[in-house]
Amino acid sequence: MADTLPIAEAKSLVTRARAGDYSALEQVFRAYERPVYTLARRLSKSPDDAEDVLQETFLEVCRSLKQWRGEGSLWGWIRTIAASKALMRYRREKLRAWEPLGDDVAHRAEDVPLQMDLEAALARLPERSRAVVWLHDVEGYTHEEIAELMGMTTSFSKSQLARAHERLRRWLGAGVER
Amino acid sequence: MSESRHATGDELLALRDGEGSGWARDHVAGCAACAAELQRLEQVRSQLKALPSFAPPRDVWPVVLRAARADRRRRRVSLWSGAVATAAVVALAFAVMRHAPAPEPVDVALQKAMAESAAMEQMFESLHPDRRALSGQAAGVVADLEDQLAQVDAALNDTVAWRSNPVRVAGLWKQRAGLLSALVDVHETRASVAGL
Repeated sequence: MADTLPIAEAKSLVTRARAGDYSALEQVFRAYERPVYTLARRLSKSPDDAEDVLQETFLEVCRSLKQWRGEGSLWGWIRTIAASKALMRYRREKLRAWEPLGDDVAHRAEDVPLQMDLEAALARLPERSRAVVWLHDVEGYTHEEIAELMGMTTSFSKSQLARAHERLRRWLGAGVER
Repeated sequence: MSESRHATGDELLALRDGEGSGWARDHVAGCAACAAELQRLEQVRSQLKALPSFAPPRDVWPVVLRAARADRRRRRVSLWSGAVATAAVVALAFAVMRHAPAPEPVDVALQKAMAESAAMEQMFESLHPDRRALSGQAAGVVADLEDQLAQVDAALNDTVAWRSNPVRVAGLWKQRAGLLSALVDVHETRASVAGL
């Protein structure tokens, strides 16, 4: 997603928000609530989780506004906070409920070629795979950045991406037999 | 077609992302099936980017606003309670250092500067700065003053300095009072009540 606020406007709003101007803080919130929620939906298990991520992200933004010095885009900074919050929740949940890593659904009926739309196919991917696909293909994160965010290795990120695309190919029913 | 195998998913994704090997590039150039798969991967990426965004089901701004206000209040309270705690430390330090019963001039200067700072802090809080809208220029001035205030508070939290250089500490309290006075001026003259 392109940054919705020009850098000069973002700097001005952040300066005012840091000084306690809540109308400026609200403008920042309104500019990014939808992209943050969309990212959170793609990385979270449920809409409720995504809403929590949205809220936690902006609470963190409020606390850490001084850390953004205007050197990079404001969206890039907020997006990394959101991704980190979403993946932190995901990691925490993994500690409570075991879920196999990687190619974990091989024995289900998921390898059967299907004709799904992309939205349904994406939703059907295991969470980690979906997160890697979204962060890499849509948000433009490198495998190194994804590995850091997820606390995994670069090769894990690459293999998750390849497996996810293999699944999408089957589920979307659009692959060419090779 | 080079080498008697097709490119793997990893190799095609790397090519799509501009990082593919020379072999993979050469292979795809001569293999219709792999070229088609590469094109499909590019299309999937474009389609993913084109998926619609989601609107949050509820407005969480009121929650964020409440938390931001509470956080700002906490920071102010902790600044002031930090100052009180530090004052207790300095009183103890002077009691230890001082042999004569009469107060030293530095004690008087310090107490005066602290009282001035406390008065300014009260005046500043009474203006409810978190309910005021600022112009961009005024906000810049406020942010700068608050940064300086944070630096002074950090210096005042150094209890070793209180014992080793009380004259400097008295100067820091005077500086703090001056910064708060400047903040009061900015908020009184350049801000308007935002009604938030």
